[in-house]
Amino acid sequence: MAIAENLRGPAAGRPSAADARRYWLQAKRNQLTPYMFIAPNMALFSVFVFFPLLYALYISLREWSLIDTPRYIGLENYVRLANDALFWQSLRNTLVFSVATVPMSLAIGLLLAVALNRDLVGRTLLRSIYFLPVVISNVATAVIAAWLFNDNYGVINTLLQRIGLGPVAWLSSPRWALFSLIVTTLWVRIGFCMVVYLAALQSISPTYYDAAKMDGATRWQQFRYITWPLLRPATFLLLILGVIYSFQVFDLIYVMTGGGPGFSTTMIVQYIYQAAFVSSEMGYASAMGMVLFVMILLFTLMQWRVNRRVEDVA
Amino acid sequence: MTTITKRSFLKTGLCAGIGAGAGMYWGAASAQKAASLSMTSWGSPAEVAAFNALIEQYKARNPNVAIKLEVVPSGQYYQQLDTRFAGKQAPDIFRAQYQRIGRYGQSGAAIDLSQYLDAGFGQDFLPSVWRASTFKGKPHALPHHTDTFALFYNAEIFEKLGIEAPRSLDKSWSWQKFISAAKLVKEKAGLNYAFAMNWQNSNAYRWLMYLYQHGGQLLDNELKGPQVNTKEAAETVAWTQSWFKDGLVPPNTSLKSSEPVQNLFATGKIAMLLHGDWQIPFIQDQAKFKWGVTYLPRDVAMAADLGGNALAVSRDSKSPDVAADFVKFMVEEESMRSFVTKAQFLPVRKSLKDKGLVYDIRNEEMKVFLEQSATVPEHLVSTIVRPTWDRFNAKLADELELAFTSGQSPTATVANIEKHVRSTLLV
Repeated sequence: MAIAENLRGPAAGRPSAADARRYWLQAKRNQLTPYMFIAPNMALFSVFVFFPLLYALYISLREWSLIDTPRYIGLENYVRLANDALFWQSLRNTLVFSVATVPMSLAIGLLLAVALNRDLVGRTLLRSIYFLPVVISNVATAVIAAWLFNDNYGVINTLLQRIGLGPVAWLSSPRWALFSLIVTTLWVRIGFCMVVYLAALQSISPTYYDAAKMDGATRWQQFRYITWPLLRPATFLLLILGVIYSFQVFDLIYVMTGGGPGFSTTMIVQYIYQAAFVSSEMGYASAMGMVLFVMILLFTLMQWRVNRRVEDVA
Repeated sequence: MTTITKRSFLKTGLCAGIGAGAGMYWGAASAQKAASLSMTSWGSPAEVAAFNALIEQYKARNPNVAIKLEVVPSGQYYQQLDTRFAGKQAPDIFRAQYQRIGRYGQSGAAIDLSQYLDAGFGQDFLPSVWRASTFKGKPHALPHHTDTFALFYNAEIFEKLGIEAPRSLDKSWSWQKFISAAKLVKEKAGLNYAFAMNWQNSNAYRWLMYLYQHGGQLLDNELKGPQVNTKEAAETVAWTQSWFKDGLVPPNTSLKSSEPVQNLFATGKIAMLLHGDWQIPFIQDQAKFKWGVTYLPRDVAMAADLGGNALAVSRDSKSPDVAADFVKFMVEEESMRSFVTKAQFLPVRKSLKDKGLVYDIRNEEMKVFLEQSATVPEHLVSTIVRPTWDRFNAKLADELELAFTSGQSPTATVANIEKHVRSTLLV
């Protein structure tokens, strides 16, 4: 009310000092309200994200073994990182792993979602089975996978031997270890992709399909021109999450191969862990962590911009 | 001149004995101030039980002191301990391998215990482990026990194939004889693989015993420069690499694997196992066949691995004097006897070694380990106690892993190890 009165202009007379103060307070309150809403989130983010991030940056400029006093060494860790063949190999492994797992998990997840979106006997049970690895801890999944793939007493090799095929060194040969990890990752990830796609599919109005059918569109045309474009937000979300997951994969590898044999399954987070907790080089590990952070940030920003541009065009 | 009769001598002696005994007990029980201590360790069920039994004994002597044992899985032990140090929340007392004491001493994480020890306290300890528990000549931990490696074998398979295990240290197998026995086992016993070695989980340093057996060493005699880029070292890499190339060991038993090799032996998948004495309780429980323990193979020399742990007091302890008193109690002769005989370890007090021990299980096999432990080279001990050892150990594991699983040549492997010696170990 006081604001409305104030807005009437000079004809309404000059506002009193009390009104001016009330107006000022109200304006201030209006400015503060959004900050109060985001304050709890910001507090949590500050404690658990921003502060550790800044601290990691601080540590990345130092030499620190966790139990001694950090010593400032400038950009030495970053220079070392640029010349570290193992860092580049772990980065290469991570890219190969991401390229192999992300599109495959999206494609298989979408296929399953489309299949299980129809009337099918045992549909609920099948959805639960595919989703099960997502709700189980990654470490438990990795232990199960390590048993399945075990060279000496694994189920897969036992079955192979029963049909007359020799045992395969699934986890101990550089040729097969990455493949085994990719298969296990797909097992974990496709359930998640399936559920997200399933939710997205069920939110598409059937009227689009009715109209398309009346126009004589084939099933493929319906998928190509209705389903796929309307699934774009889900695909974008899964792509970003998939890439972040693949860049940060650790637990599966820690349990199944420990980064070996050799360095054939050493991913970047595995190498960071090794530098931090096995070699006690916390500064170097933090420098690698910062590089990983920047890479994921750039990828996400890039995808975000591409997605926005596509949506604007649409 | 006063005559001391037999009766008066006995009376005096008895009174003095009771007085001294009571005084000792009374002194221990009453002198200790109230404190609540935490101790962290990893360990098998037998080790944990032995620790807890001794903690109860100490608490009975010192009712004012509460001690809580925190058991951490061995794979995560040091990372958790270091993280707690970083957060200034380290436990009062911690167990650490001899190879790690230098690092904890250098950083001040383990306090100098000399202020709590009488002069000559270390004299009854084996010189190698006493030295391994010191940093710059000051004890930063007290040696608690040692262990070493020997060769477990499936006695039923050996009998069937007519293989006779060496019965004395001087008759231990040469490398060639060991490999011949392994090949025979693989060919005739219907097994896919003959043996396995326990060097997983950051235990790459155990490879060094083969290097010393072959006449090589990592550092020069003065411990000032590398001496690993040599023919001896390359041949040692080639020999251990041949285990994998010739299919004598399961491929998933290399250094980065998480395969528990003792399971392979206990379930009869392999006929021989290079492992430590602390595995005896597990194998005793799990193996359903006759088994024995014999000496390590040897080449131009015999050498074994220095295993075992010391107990240290952390800089975060609020009652370092009480914690030091507890650690002293843990390494007393009787405490040590109790721990090593229950948990199947080797003592580090000369007096205990001289008196002999009776182990709870497999006493004869423990004698093999005891004899084997005498073959740990002094130079090896001096090498592995350097403060930078654990950082170097990770690099050593990487290089050996590449040789065993990815075809890295022995010459490239030793050249790379030499680089790591210069850049990491000798820093």
